[in-house]
Order: sequence, then structure tokens, then C-alpha cells
Amino acid sequence: MTKTKDALRQRELTINMGPQHPATHGVLRLVLEIDGETVIKCTPYVGYLHRGTEKLCENRTYLSAMPLMDRLDYISSMANDVGYCVAVERLLGIEPPERAKFIRTMMCEMTRISSHILWLGTHALDIGAMTVFLYSFREREWIMDLFEMVCGARLTVSFPRIGGIRNDVSQEFLDSLYKFAEEFPSRIIEYETLIDQNRIWLQRTKGIGVISAEEAVNWGFTGPTLRGSGVDYDVRKYMPYDAYEQVDFDVPVGKEGDVYDRYRCRMEEMRQSVRIIKQCIEKLPKGPIMTPDAPKFTLPPKDKVLKDMEAMIHHFVMLTKGPLTAPVGEIYSSTEVPKGELGFYIVSDGSGRPYRMRLRSPSFVHVSALPRLCVGSLVADVIANIGTIDVVLGECDR
Amino acid sequence: MKAKDIIKRVLLLEIIQGMALTLKTMFTKAVTRQYPEEPRAAMPGFRGLHALSKDEEGVMKCVGCGLCAAVCPSQCIKIFTAQGLNHEKVVERYEIDTLKCLFCAYCVEACPYGAIALTEHYEYSDYSKESFYMDKDKLLENWDKYMSGDKGNEYFKRFWKPMSIDFNTSEEQAVFKGWDNNK
Ligand code: SF4
Ligand code: SF4
Repeated sequence: MTKTKDALRQRELTINMGPQHPATHGVLRLVLEIDGETVIKCTPYVGYLHRGTEKLCENRTYLSAMPLMDRLDYISSMANDVGYCVAVERLLGIEPPERAKFIRTMMCEMTRISSHILWLGTHALDIGAMTVFLYSFREREWIMDLFEMVCGARLTVSFPRIGGIRNDVSQEFLDSLYKFAEEFPSRIIEYETLIDQNRIWLQRTKGIGVISAEEAVNWGFTGPTLRGSGVDYDVRKYMPYDAYEQVDFDVPVGKEGDVYDRYRCRMEEMRQSVRIIKQCIEKLPKGPIMTPDAPKFTLPPKDKVLKDMEAMIHHFVMLTKGPLTAPVGEIYSSTEVPKGELGFYIVSDGSGRPYRMRLRSPSFVHVSALPRLCVGSLVADVIANIGTIDVVLGECDR
Repeated sequence: MKAKDIIKRVLLLEIIQGMALTLKTMFTKAVTRQYPEEPRAAMPGFRGLHALSKDEEGVMKCVGCGLCAAVCPSQCIKIFTAQGLNHEKVVERYEIDTLKCLFCAYCVEACPYGAIALTEHYEYSDYSKESFYMDKDKLLENWDKYMSGDKGNEYFKRFWKPMSIDFNTSEEQAVFKGWDNNK
């Protein structure tokens, strides 16, 4: 009798965290084996949000597949769209005009800020700081309004197009965005006043989830999660796309590779984003927003469609069959989304649809490293670790 | 340095700073909205409920070419055409399942005639599924309800006209015009 009791007492406990746990940011399920308060095994289960994006793309034209990209990482839809457009443009060998490039870059950085403030709010909420959450949503709303002003949608924007952007921005938008860029740094200071030095925050984040630079690279980390460990890899610098070559910005890196350093990295990134936005507005040239040199791959201007026979045929073919003269081949193209490096591997067989499309999503890679971060730590730190890799399950499960 | 740290720790300085900030925020204007009582106006060009547009005589503009149905990523538009009395094409049924719709506005972009629009109306929740299945009459009614008068024309002019003139450099394009801090 006593023997069984002892055996019971000493057994490790297996608990199920998620898929409906508010701190798992969506539908991540972790099976934790714990010994008292210490995690001894952690197994992530993903796939609850699987929608088959890669397969769905094979049945859609390059244009019609874009709304699916909005729904990968739904809090940074603009950056995904831009990534997708850049990939298809590289495949088709076309280049968007300067104005479109600057507007896209601007949008990407707005997305970065919006994604990072959502991350900051929820991460702080998980760890126990409620106020930051409320303040960060105030600014997020501002960005959402700006998105609505430019394209009529707040979250799933579908704004960029292959070869340019959907519509031009208004003067009112540019002024409001500049106002935002002027005021936002003071808001970052507000967040920092609340948590930067806060002793509870420091205790919950410093020295937690430490990963060395070498290990982070080996795990395939990208984005701020990698830069927190001191590696200055950023696709925007190493393989510039759109207007990133023409703007000036720094890539903040951390030292220790713990939760706190990754937090600092993201805060600095927001400041850099503001810098990029300002430069983009100041340098924004006049000109076309859709490339005029690729009539076979882009939609013709609306007024031509009903007057010009050729334009009309292109219009019909582009919309029903896709760009039928797409080159045969394959391409891998990656862009820096707020979570890390989003890669598109597209195989084209010359028809208007991708023959195969593979997405390399940063969240999936980061989730796979959760056991490495969590094993040996306390149960409470699992929450901090999930927050720090900034996982969005829509992108992870695709 | 050490002594300074100890003083900071004992005096809870960073906590007091945080508290001061929240106290200050208490006296600023509320940013939240009492939603159903204070509705929020959508921005022009908002992608909400669909409408089929009418011309000046109140006739439906759609000719039933089917481009919108072809481009629709979620394939939620169904068009049935038939032959009219004078052997012309008439749109018999035009149906949109708004529950499937992504509100991507590709249909608006595809339509060569400007026959379909997304209105600024977004509050149309209901208890039954049927009310989200929009047929031709409902869609035409939406145009009268939400795009009446000049609004419909403005919509196409403001948001869909630029798409057609983008290829020439427009003089009125928005650019940075300097920043005045007091604005
Ligand atoms: S908005 Fe998009 S999903 Fe909705 S009906 Fe139009 S094309 Fe289809
Ligand atoms: S709404 Fe426009 S695109 Fe759709 S069938 Fe009618 S005319 Fe063609």
C-alpha cells in the first residue's frame, strides 16, 4: 500500500497545455512532462490551424492566391503579401516602379510596428503586466486606421500587387502617417517606462530561455528571435528587396540571447521602423504605381480594357487563367517579415498557376525549438518562452 | 553604482514612475468607444457588403461577363445568364454568398464595367444563414441603400479611377510636403 503511494508521489506529471490556452497565442498545444515545477519534456503539437495553403495555391492563379497570404500570419498580412509579390516578381522577372517600392516598404514597416506592439502587449500580459497591453492596443488601432485609409481593409489587406500596388496613397494618408511616425517614439518610451526597469519584468525575462548564437543559427532561427542572440542577420540588409537599399537603418542585436534581449531587440526595431517610414515618406517619388513594362503579367489599366482589344484580351486571360507566359523554372525568395524570414519556393511549369509552392514560415521553425528553450525551466517560464519566439499559428500550420 | 542601485530598489523608483504614467493617462481623453451607441464611420473605400451598381437610369450595369466569378478566390459568386427577347444576354441570377467572401475586392477590380462595388456597410449580422446569401435584388437594393446619390460615382472615381490613370504620371499624386509640428 505504502509502496504504491510512494510510486504515485514520485511519478512525473504529464499535462496538456493548449490548444485553447490563452497564453499559447492561438492553437498551439504543448504536452509537458513536469517534475514538480520543472519541465523535463516538452512536445509541441501543431496543425490545428492547417488550411492547406500550399495546396490551395496550386489551383489558383498567381493573383488569386494572394488573399491566402494575408491569412498566413494574420497580424502582419501586408508583409506577407509583399513577400509573395516579391517572390512572384522575381520569378516573372519584373520590377515594380520606384513609387510602388517606397509605398510597399512603408507598409512593411507599419506592419512590423503593428505586429511588434501586438506582441509586446500580449507577451507582457502573459507575464503579468496588464497596462502595456491596453496602451499598445491604442497605437495598434491607429495603424489599423491607417491601413483602412489606404486600402479599405484593416487586417487582411491584399494591398500589393504583382508588379506594383493596388491603388495610390492619398495626401491625407501620408500626412497622418508622418504624424504617427513623429509621435510613436514617445509612445515607445511610455511602454518602456512601464516595463523596462520593472523588477518583476526583469525577473521573469532576464536569463530565461537563453540560447547561444551558434545554437540559434543551428535551429534555423531568424528575425528578432535570432538577433536577440547577437547575430545581425536581417534579410532587409543581406538581400535587399523593394526600397530597403535606399533607406538607412540599423539592425539592433542583443547579447545574452535571453527573453529580455529579444524584447529589447524588438523595441529597437520599432524605432528603426519609424526611421524607415519617415525616410520613405520624404523620398517618395511621383510616378506610376504599376509597372508599365510587363503588360503580359499585370492587369491593364481599366480605361483601356473597354477600348483596346489587346488590353481586353489580356484582362480576361490574366483574370481567368493567370499569366500564361510565365517562365518555366523555380525560385526561392525570402523577405523579412516581423517574425523572421518568410521564404517562398515556387516551381512554375509555365502555366498561370504555381506548379508547387512551398512556404518557409519562421513560426514553424521557432516552435520546433520550443523544447530546447523550455526543458529544464519552470512551468511559468514556458509562457515567457512561447511569447518570446512570437509565434503565430496561422503561419506555423499554414 | 551599487549604492544607487540599492536606493532605487528600496524606493521602488521604477514602479512609481510607471504608476505616475498610468495616473497621468487617467486624465487624458478616453480612446475607447461605446460601440453600438457610437458607431464608427468607415473610411471611404472600405471593403464591406457588396452592391451591384446601377447607371443613371437605374438599370443594372452588370452584363454577366463572369469575370468577377472567375477571379474570386473563394468562388462565392454565381452568375446565370440567359437569352433575352432580342437575343441579348441578360443576367438572370447573380448571387454572392457573403459568408464565404474574403472581402478582397478582386471582383471590383476585375469588373470592366464598374458594375460591382463594396459598400461601407459592415453591420449585417443575423441569426439565419439565408440572409447572408445575396441575390440580385438584394444586391441592387444595397446600391440604393448605401451608395445612393453621388457616393457611388465617387467610389469608382476615387478608388477605381486611379487604377486606370496610374500609367501616366499624375500631377496630383501625394508626396511629402514638409512637416509642421503644430499640425
Ligand atoms: S470580395 Fe473577393 S471573395 Fe468577395 S466576392 Fe469579391 S472577389 Fe469574391
Ligand atoms: S459584375 Fe462586372 S465582372 Fe461581374 S459579371 Fe457583371 S459585368 Fe462581369
